[in-house]
Amino acid sequence: MSSRSAWRALHYSAKRRISQPTTPYRCFSCARQSLEQAKPDHERMTHFGFTNVPESEKESRVGAVFSSVASSYDNMNDLMSLGIHRLWKDHFVRSLNPGTPVANRDADAKDKGWNILDIAGGTGDIAFRMLDHATNINHDMQTSVTISDINADMLAEGRKRSIETPYYNTSRLSFVEANAEHMPHIPDASIDLYTVVFGIRNFTDKQAALNEAFRVLKPGGVFACMEFSKVDNPLFDAIYKRWNFSAIPLIGQIVAGDRDSYQYLVESIERFPSQEEFRGMIQKAGFMIPGRGYENLTGGIAAIHKGIKPIVQS
Amino acid sequence: MASLVRLPAPRRAPSSIPSICSAPTPLATRQFHTSGQLRPSPSKVTTAIKPTFKNPAYTIRPYHSPLHPRLPPHEYTNSQTAILTASLPHIPSQGFTNAALTLGARDAGFLDVSVQLLPRGEFDLVLFWLASRRGLLRGKVEEGALFTRAAAERGREVGGLSVEEKVKILVLERLRLNKDVKEVWQDALAQMSLLGNIPLALTELHALSNDILTLSGDAAVDGSWYARRLGLSAIYASAEVVMTRDPTPELVETEAFVERRFADKEALREKVEGVGSWVGFLGSTAVGVGRSWGLKI
Repeated sequence: MSSRSAWRALHYSAKRRISQPTTPYRCFSCARQSLEQAKPDHERMTHFGFTNVPESEKESRVGAVFSSVASSYDNMNDLMSLGIHRLWKDHFVRSLNPGTPVANRDADAKDKGWNILDIAGGTGDIAFRMLDHATNINHDMQTSVTISDINADMLAEGRKRSIETPYYNTSRLSFVEANAEHMPHIPDASIDLYTVVFGIRNFTDKQAALNEAFRVLKPGGVFACMEFSKVDNPLFDAIYKRWNFSAIPLIGQIVAGDRDSYQYLVESIERFPSQEEFRGMIQKAGFMIPGRGYENLTGGIAAIHKGIKPIVQS
Repeated sequence: MASLVRLPAPRRAPSSIPSICSAPTPLATRQFHTSGQLRPSPSKVTTAIKPTFKNPAYTIRPYHSPLHPRLPPHEYTNSQTAILTASLPHIPSQGFTNAALTLGARDAGFLDVSVQLLPRGEFDLVLFWLASRRGLLRGKVEEGALFTRAAAERGREVGGLSVEEKVKILVLERLRLNKDVKEVWQDALAQMSLLGNIPLALTELHALSNDILTLSGDAAVDGSWYARRLGLSAIYASAEVVMTRDPTPELVETEAFVERRFADKEALREKVEGVGSWVGFLGSTAVGVGRSWGLKI
């Protein structure tokens, strides 16, 4: 009897346990379950470095990278490029020659200087150089630059730096936090020069950004982009890759205390299209390509791409 | 065989070739690359050889295969050409500078920033100037007025002008096309002498000397082909430098300089040919002497 009652008690308790599971259902294999979960938010993927992430996530992830590097951005650029990035940026600005020289200005003085839009220029590196060139070389006091960046931390860094420039708190320099793929606050055909320097590789949809650039530029306006690119020489390429994948994350870890952000940086450089492919994208947006369309810097580590919005023949 | 009309022997004299080439009916007498079906019958050839000239001054048809389209005079796109063409009138006042390009871009309806269309900047303006003047020179010859006028000044027929005379006329005419920009030509020379620009500048100089020799009916296909182009390029380039320092409005000094250089070239040619024939004579004599001694040469 006692054994029977003991069996019954066990039996009941076992039954009770089945009818009221305290832990959720745990299947032997989780693959099916995870597939079912992923299905409802099935969406386009984009690359984030070497990994693929949903498009909605890339923006925030890139945002996190640049928020974390904003403060040490300048030091890190110097260390990673051995100071060459300054030469590139100077060359970029000099070749664009912003500002109208006094001698070329019309007597009626109706032109108000160039309207420059610097996309992804949060820390103001390019914007200050543009304004310096326009002011000191061409004596053009009207040319103005709008710095647009998606990342508030980078913009804050730029604002902080602008205090030390003569353009602080003037109408020649303004800051906007915006996504370059969609800029409804900028009217059509209002910009003379659109620049994006070392920024476009972080965009989620590069073609959309190029189309938006085409929209905001005046006919005859120039799209100028400087971005990391592909090295031609195989020997130099091997050295460069070694530097990129070994040295830069290490420098990031030691100087900025952030290895992952710099790992992302080198991976995104590797994933960026080659000179010819990117030229094709610029052409696809509707731009005219001057000459070969791009200029290699330091053997192709970086390249300057240019496109001109055609004038509609009336 | 006897029934076939006998063709005249091909003559190499340059003055005769154009008269054959300029047959008003395009009967493909000189189209070497045409296929068999286009080859004219001998009777047609004889009719083509005796053409009736409407415009005797148009005596040039440069040889090129009809299977290949003619090369464009320059490689610029429409928008680039628009800016460059609009910049040309600003050159005498602004020089070959970015300022001329900017003003040209504005005249063409572009923005100041649009000069980015020209990746070489001022040097593009120089190249475009050179190429367009070369085209003008060709146009002048092809419409025929140039040689007719020059022949009338000398009191002779157009056909009576020798190749050398035609070359000289063309060089001087090309220099006169630069008269308006004489004051600022040093800008262009400076641009062309920059290390990166030298290859393109030399290419353009070769194209010019090639054009001048072709237009003047030079038909040399031997080793002197190179010597002629080299000599002409040297004369033209040095005359350009002299022209920048020529104060006379009608380029009298430059003209005299060109005359002297052509005389020098002629003297040099005679000496080289003299030395050549002397060496050849000595060589054949030495061979003859050797053979008379029983050497198996």
